[in-house]
Amino acid sequence: MHTFERIHHVEFQRRFLAQKTRHDGRAFSQFRPTHVVKGAINTAQGSSTVRIGNTTVVCGIKAEVSEPDVKTPSEGYFATNVELSPMCSARFRPGAPGEDAQVASEHIHRLFKTNVVDLKTLCIEEGQAVWSLSADIVCLKYDGNILDAAVIALMAALEDLKLPIAELDSATGVVSADRTKAEPLALRKRLLPATFSLVDDAYLVADADDAEEQMATAALLIVLDDSGNLANVWKRGAGLVSSETIRQCIDSAGQRKEALAKTL
Amino acid sequence: MRPDRREDDQVRALHSVVGVLNRVDGSAQFSAGRTSVYSGVYGPVDVRVYDEKLDRTHVEVKYRADTGAAGTKDRWAESAIRQTFERIVMAQMHPRTMVQINVQVRENDGSVDAVAINAVALALIDAAVPLRDTVAAASCAVRGDGSTVVDPTLEEIEDARSVHTFAFASSDLAANLDASTTHPVYVDSRGEFSVDEYDRCYELCARAAQRVLAFMRTAIEDKAAKESQISSSK
Repeated sequence: MHTFERIHHVEFQRRFLAQKTRHDGRAFSQFRPTHVVKGAINTAQGSSTVRIGNTTVVCGIKAEVSEPDVKTPSEGYFATNVELSPMCSARFRPGAPGEDAQVASEHIHRLFKTNVVDLKTLCIEEGQAVWSLSADIVCLKYDGNILDAAVIALMAALEDLKLPIAELDSATGVVSADRTKAEPLALRKRLLPATFSLVDDAYLVADADDAEEQMATAALLIVLDDSGNLANVWKRGAGLVSSETIRQCIDSAGQRKEALAKTL
Repeated sequence: MRPDRREDDQVRALHSVVGVLNRVDGSAQFSAGRTSVYSGVYGPVDVRVYDEKLDRTHVEVKYRADTGAAGTKDRWAESAIRQTFERIVMAQMHPRTMVQINVQVRENDGSVDAVAINAVALALIDAAVPLRDTVAAASCAVRGDGSTVVDPTLEEIEDARSVHTFAFASSDLAANLDASTTHPVYVDSRGEFSVDEYDRCYELCARAAQRVLAFMRTAIEDKAAKESQISSSK
């Protein structure tokens, strides 16, 4: 069995998909067990660990004081970085971030920048001092669906984040912050993702793992917020997915959102 | 009322030059209003051993924005364009080769993703890369008051509650535009929007894409006519 899986992994997967099941026994619409733990890293101001099946992701948010940009004197900074290193999978080469990591970093950043984090809440003293948040999302084990894991991890880390109450001494220009007095950040909304993939150009499955992802010709990411509105519909890969199917996925994403909201 | 006095469902003035660059195998410049993108395509050409695929051609995209240093934004755009055209290109016809798609944004006044996809589609046709279909893309934005405007400018995007980009295969657009049976080749909707707003944007963009496709067809027909004049006068 294992030999067959290794040598003919496409045919191996097809045996299951043709029977309307998946190699790990899941139904097409089933997501893997998802676990979220907040506050795993003491040295970060906010952190989380997320597991979706075997995919494991850790997110740490560090906060530093910085001078604001001249053009936006009352706005702080928020940077996100997704790291996919050889440690998490043989798929990724050592060295500069590959396309997967860069695309994930960019997409996560666009999602969170306007929808979740209001840069004005990071202001300490207009024109002089602001918080600069640096979120690092590191994949420890890669088994597909890095986007869902990264979105959930960043969301959890932001909800875990506590910023020390900071004050600028106008005489000395020094910002002092009492670490024992920290407040959570006011977030605009909560984002809950669901990814669907078109495997072998024919089977639409939820939460594809690495083996299924390798055979996928299209991927669809749907992000909902806690009030049920859509925040993102992103379909890429030219595998044929009808807009009727996209609507069904939006409904499935709604169910996933309910389950996720309880875990978060 | 839109700043440039367009109707809500009106696309900006479209302009294209097919075969604008003479060093590449195929090229096109595509513009909608002030948003303008160049695309140059090489293919099929030699491929790096690392990227070589035994049964198909390797599709690669290089994207450069109009301003700013290269970064993750460009990688994102490359990934989106590559995944759109990977299946459109008949990859099995040229195994162990590469089709390299270069994209250079000349000016970005909104809807640049859609304009880039259209430029690439024309450049691929100009390069005579075998294609399953052609692709036409359009964008729209939902404003604060809930109204939807097609082909938004940068100013309209900045004030919008959500922005949507859709690309369609021409075979889908030629048939009836029943939303439930079309298969969008690329979808990118971002912001805060309801399912109804998503449906409305989808339909508006599909109609706009039909117009873009008709325009692209004229551009290619003009070019083909010119070429046959040149060859018949020899």
